Amino acid sequence: MSDDDLERQLRVALKPAHPGADFAPRVLARLAAEERVPRVRLPRSQAVAGWLTFGLAASVLVAVLLAHQWQVRRTEQGIEARRELLEALRVTDQKLDLAYRVVNAPPHAAAPQHSGA
Amino acid sequence: MNTSSRKWLLLVAPLAALLTSVALAAAPPGLLVLPEFAGLAKQASETVNISLDPALLGLAAGFLDSSQPDDAATKELIAGLKGIYVRSYTFDEDFAYPSAQVERVRAQLNAPGWQRLVEVNNVKERTHVDIYMCADHGVAQGLAIISSEPREFTIVNIVGAIDLARLHRLEGKFGIPKLAVPDNAGGGSDKGK
Repeated sequence: MSDDDLERQLRVALKPAHPGADFAPRVLARLAAEERVPRVRLPRSQAVAGWLTFGLAASVLVAVLLAHQWQVRRTEQGIEARRELLEALRVTDQKLDLAYRVVNAPPHAAAPQHSGA
Repeated sequence: MNTSSRKWLLLVAPLAALLTSVALAAAPPGLLVLPEFAGLAKQASETVNISLDPALLGLAAGFLDSSQPDDAATKELIAGLKGIYVRSYTFDEDFAYPSAQVERVRAQLNAPGWQRLVEVNNVKERTHVDIYMCADHGVAQGLAIISSEPREFTIVNIVGAIDLARLHRLEGKFGIPKLAVPDNAGGGSDKGK
């Protein structure tokens, strides 16, 4: 095919053509018909499921965070309780030691009295 | 007072009395009601205020490492305990604490079950230490130590089956030097002998 043939064919093909008098009414009728067809949407159950999944994930995250916080707090309380326990035993021991020391001191310095009970 | 208030009081008063008596009955033997000593805390240069109830003791025990000998011994010591309460105040001046509050605690130790094991009075050092034991049917249920020194006042109340021999064996493990006393001295009343 020569270039002239191609050009001629293109001219024929691209020749302006009148759409006809009823073109505009046909387009409007078509648009009106399409509007009546409902748009494609996600089913309601799928939307609910999506929200449920999100809610569940958020709940699990919150629960994990709360559990972690509780664990951290519990550990802090435990360490504090252990410190207090050792401190209490230290004070108790110190006072028993004081009693022993006074009892074992020379007689003129200490006056131990026993209830005899 | 109007009629409705009177009725309300008639309803609440016996209930409060009942709850109080139940609470008192539920308190384990060997437990002392220690005053808050709020005034003392303000005057003191150093304060130790420790209240370990059974739940906190259990929690503390959970943080003791049984593989460590000291922790294991401590765990064993507190196994039978229901509470440890310590109030200790150190002052910058001599005898800054009121004796009335001390006497209030001492009064509780006159109750049946409590026996004074040792009363130590050092005139030279102006030190007074009383050790009391609460026993129920021959089983130790509590220990109380009241120690008055010129610049320090301490009350210790250990509730439950305390083993003084075990406590003695722990000596040297909380920064307290070991004492040259025989092991059988931990029994209590024979300490001063």
